[in-house]
Amino acid sequence: MLLHALLGGVIYGCYFALIGLGLNLVFGVMRIVNLAHGDVLMLGAFAAFFLFHLFGLSPFITAPIVLAGFFLLGLPFYYLVVPRLALAKDAEMLSLILFFGIQQIIEALAAIAFGSSERSIPGRVLGVGPFHLFGQVLSRAWVIAAAIAAAAVIALYLYLYHTRSGLLTRAVMASREEALASGIDIHRISARAFAIGLALAGLAGVFAPFMLGSVTPAMGVTINLSAFAVIIVGSLGNPLGTVLGGLIYGVGLLLMQTYFSAWADILPNLLLIAVLLLRPTGLLGRRVRLA
Amino acid sequence: MAALRKWWLGLAAIALVGMFAPRARAGDAPAEIKIGHLHAGSGPYASISMPVYLSLKLWVEQQNAAGGAFVKAYGKKIPLKLISYDDQSNPGTAATLTNQLITQDKVDLLICDSGSVLTAVSVPIAREHKMFLFDPTGTGAAFFSKDNPYIALLADPVSTVWPRYLWEFLKSDAAKLGVKRVALLYSTNDFTGTQANSVRAALKEAGSPVEIVFDQGVPTSTSNYSVLIDNIAATNPDMVLELGYVGNDIAFLRNLQESGQKFKGVFTLYPGIETNVLMKNVGAQGLAGVFTYVTALGLTLKPEVGLTVEELRAAFEKAYGEGGVEFGWNAIAGHVTGLVIGETLAHADSLSQPDLHRAVFGLSGKLKTLVGTFELRDDGAQIGELTPIGQFDAQGKLGVVYPPDVATTKPHLNTP
Repeated sequence: MLLHALLGGVIYGCYFALIGLGLNLVFGVMRIVNLAHGDVLMLGAFAAFFLFHLFGLSPFITAPIVLAGFFLLGLPFYYLVVPRLALAKDAEMLSLILFFGIQQIIEALAAIAFGSSERSIPGRVLGVGPFHLFGQVLSRAWVIAAAIAAAAVIALYLYLYHTRSGLLTRAVMASREEALASGIDIHRISARAFAIGLALAGLAGVFAPFMLGSVTPAMGVTINLSAFAVIIVGSLGNPLGTVLGGLIYGVGLLLMQTYFSAWADILPNLLLIAVLLLRPTGLLGRRVRLA
Repeated sequence: MAALRKWWLGLAAIALVGMFAPRARAGDAPAEIKIGHLHAGSGPYASISMPVYLSLKLWVEQQNAAGGAFVKAYGKKIPLKLISYDDQSNPGTAATLTNQLITQDKVDLLICDSGSVLTAVSVPIAREHKMFLFDPTGTGAAFFSKDNPYIALLADPVSTVWPRYLWEFLKSDAAKLGVKRVALLYSTNDFTGTQANSVRAALKEAGSPVEIVFDQGVPTSTSNYSVLIDNIAATNPDMVLELGYVGNDIAFLRNLQESGQKFKGVFTLYPGIETNVLMKNVGAQGLAGVFTYVTALGLTLKPEVGLTVEELRAAFEKAYGEGGVEFGWNAIAGHVTGLVIGETLAHADSLSQPDLHRAVFGLSGKLKTLVGTFELRDDGAQIGELTPIGQFDAQGKLGVVYPPDVATTKPHLNTP
């Protein structure tokens, strides 16, 4: 039971790392809190659902379509919303309110457009039969979804640490003002990061029907809570910390289900409280020098 | 002589009042009867709440198209006005809106939202305001007590009674087939929690041929059952009972299918309650061999009042065909709610809450709708037609396996 919970937790954690990754990138670069992140994921899930049921497109084909589509939508959306928001005195707090409103609008429109019933894509689409690992039987769909999540994490790492654009992104993450003073076009870099954040959420959405059983327009709020736990545990603004946060969340959740199942849904809150009390900067957070 | 004259005058006065009273009452009749209702347009309970709301709305529209509902208190048909607020699946919002319906909108009849989680908040508020609560599907046992005359459960049997056929089946036919060890996995809410308590108590009675080898609750928000299935398999049960809401059942059955684990028998609630939704999400292959409740969807009951299941399905799909809300048991529950409201108005002497109570309880045992006989216990709990136990075949067809007098097929266990 323990080994299964640990293995399953790592797989589940990889997926939650992908969910948190986009949210953390947006916060790290722009210092804005995208409360609509879970709803962007939900839109990705419905895109996958409709593309599969209307055109028979496999999630493997839908994934790059959603990635590209959400990236392209993210660019104009950034210029529409974020530069004005950045001018505000307390942009971080205002972003909470603004994106909360956007989240409500997306959920309401999705409920009107798609209805409230549960939707999903058959698990066989990602491969038939269980997956055997270290003597444990795991869902093949889960393993594939987790592998794609891991690939997305590696791709983001390569982008951030091995491309010029990634270097500039990290410069903006380190200090927006200093990046601006160095002549970096921070809006261009931020727009790209914002669009990548939405694209990653959309990609996570494509695999949500396999990881979460089914999808509904209301799923965004629950996803947000888990995503915030993941990025705060890892550390806000640090994409690599998100991977660690995701793994801790995944393993913790499945251990809770094994030994204290009725209390499993308080795990995100427990993790948040523990990290905020013991290490407010997150597990991979850097100390802040105030003087 | 004077006394006799007084008697005559008194009788004449009563006769005059009797002659003119109906006309006077009709003259005082309101322009509309206000029905207050809550629904969840979004959030985790939207999928069970929206079908109830849409079906109730359809019933109100049908009544109004025919000139309104007949209201005995005024001796004529009066149009109905449905005031339905969206509580977004939030119990706090549902509490506020219940208050608003009673104190601001001053509705004549009050209907709470669907499901036990959202019903729970309306029960004490209605009681506090001495307002009779029409409860479509909130089956939690805690809502019903003899000292609370302000509630009646309309469509579903109360959760303590509902699983009776399930435990009878486990202790008789299933035991004969070789079911000796049962795993019980349930969502911790009033609805499935009460059903689990009821099943547990029955299986733990002295002399029970079936023992519970796994007994765990999970949060209703659970969407991942992979580890739980593995943990259940470790206890080697013959049959698994998974009691959850729609999303729970979908996730459980999908995870079970993908995990490669096979149990001899699996029982879940919603395949028989929201068959369309489960069939679309889990598929006939995932439902093959699964035991479930058989609701009116899978039975052919002849109603004495209102539409048949097929007539309602046709009307519902015509009205909301592409709206993303599936026709299922909850849509039927919305229609039953409308029918009980209609019959209550047709039988209540006035719209006062005690008269509404008397009218609703007066229907008990007499009203036959598309779900069978409407029958109330004296605390307001529904104890009418119970849902038989059924099993899906490989083609996705649901047959009744218990009780024997209505069975259409024989139960069988899978080969693990």
